[in-house]
Amino acid sequence: MADISVQGLTKVYRSRAHPDGLLALDGVDLSVVDQEFVCLLGPSGCGKSTVLNVLSGLEQRYAGEVKVAGKVVSHNSGHPFRVGYVFQEPRLLPWLTVRRNIEFVLESEDIARSEWRERTDAWLHRVGLRDFAEAHPHELSGGMQQRTAIARAFAVDPEILLMDEPFSGLDELTARTMRELLLEIWLETRKTVIFVTHNCFEACFLADRIVVFSPRPGKIRKDIAIELARPRNYEDSRLFELSVSVTHYVTGKSVS
Amino acid sequence: MAIVTEREFPIPASGNRLRIPESLSIRAASLVVLVIVWQLASIAVSAKYVPGPLPTFAALWDNAQSGALMKHFTVTMARMLLSFAIAMLVGMAIGTVMGLYRRAEQSLDLVVMVGLTIPGLCYIIVSFMWLGLNDRAAVLAIAWTTFPAIAINIWQGVKAIDQRLIDMARVFGASNWRRTARVVVPQVLPYLMAASRFGLGIIWKVTVLVELLGRSDGIGYMLNYSFQMFNMADVFAWTLFFTLVMLVIELAILKPIERRLFLWRPEIRA
Repeated sequence: MADISVQGLTKVYRSRAHPDGLLALDGVDLSVVDQEFVCLLGPSGCGKSTVLNVLSGLEQRYAGEVKVAGKVVSHNSGHPFRVGYVFQEPRLLPWLTVRRNIEFVLESEDIARSEWRERTDAWLHRVGLRDFAEAHPHELSGGMQQRTAIARAFAVDPEILLMDEPFSGLDELTARTMRELLLEIWLETRKTVIFVTHNCFEACFLADRIVVFSPRPGKIRKDIAIELARPRNYEDSRLFELSVSVTHYVTGKSVS
Repeated sequence: MAIVTEREFPIPASGNRLRIPESLSIRAASLVVLVIVWQLASIAVSAKYVPGPLPTFAALWDNAQSGALMKHFTVTMARMLLSFAIAMLVGMAIGTVMGLYRRAEQSLDLVVMVGLTIPGLCYIIVSFMWLGLNDRAAVLAIAWTTFPAIAINIWQGVKAIDQRLIDMARVFGASNWRRTARVVVPQVLPYLMAASRFGLGIIWKVTVLVELLGRSDGIGYMLNYSFQMFNMADVFAWTLFFTLVMLVIELAILKPIERRLFLWRPEIRA
């Protein structure tokens, strides 16, 4: 069970520009059940990425209680569970081949060397990069680099998968293919996913549940269950209607 | 009118002829041209003022035979390498601290800039006046002249480290040590390479100058000695020798290291 429970998460950033502190998150309560796909939706600067940073252990100073699979996310050291993270940019090590990039995280997660070959091959095959294992990142297109990043995140067999606007840097056609790919893989693996986005349509297409954030300080404004059957289809007219009403929640206009 | 030229359809290499890469043949040709121009200049001016390739190599051979070449070369190399090691250590330490801490950067950037601007000759004279005409002073002067350039390169390298890649490694559970060795060091390596190449370029020139001013051995001293004797062939011979040594270091040491380290880069693979 890789459920996530966040209670009273508050984060204040102190910096030169804000000596009194900038309230980024104000008492966020969020619970995600095992195998759920949740989208955090909101305008930029609403603190939704901060939630991911806390869950991934990158942000260690916060108030509140954060648990993943019943284990408390430590305030001072690494996390006691495996995280798969897909960033907005691919964040591949440019001096390593695609294969070595994936092996780098397998080694970091103490996965037995004997499993590397099989896992890497399987995941590269799954994301359609079988023939590019020995290529360097600069030889790949932006979409292919992000595929590598997705393969890398799944390859460590994470307990939770965190995604921070992973498709916002891609052109819309590529992004669509990538969303479909992600959903296919997710239906096969059923990882618990938290997916941050500011794209309402994307959130409706992907999520079981959308959590809408208000602008700074980040608070949860609305929790919307998306009850569209899977596999989902871009041409579904209900998807479009749904995204219109979700957009109203994000912009703060009341639904008439 | 034919727009397509023959060049666009290279005839495949026939049979078992050994193919020499184009870059290599161009370089070889430029060397040959250089030697020819040198010979022509010698004929046009006079062999006394511009000794041709043959008298120069003859002088070089004589120096090698008498043992002078090896003796002075060893001395110069020893001074150079010791100073280089010191300059690299100091430059790397200062550059790293400057790259990591804003306060260190603010207090040191002007110092390093000024250090880079002051002519090497000033350091040499000051160093000899402080410590006397000995090898300690020589090494100090050479290292002193060289370290600011190294510090600046390392400083830029440390500042250019991509924190996002380090965060990525951290999220995927890479230990502190692993993040340093596998994510930070590879990012700084190109700058380290540039620093050492820059440093070597400076150090050659300064070492010769130091030997000319305050030592009684080494290649710089022999250049000055040949000057005093007005032996142009020897001046040419020592200069030529010096150039050859530099070329060997560049081609046999620096280039292969660079090729190995940066094979992944598109510019270098080409």
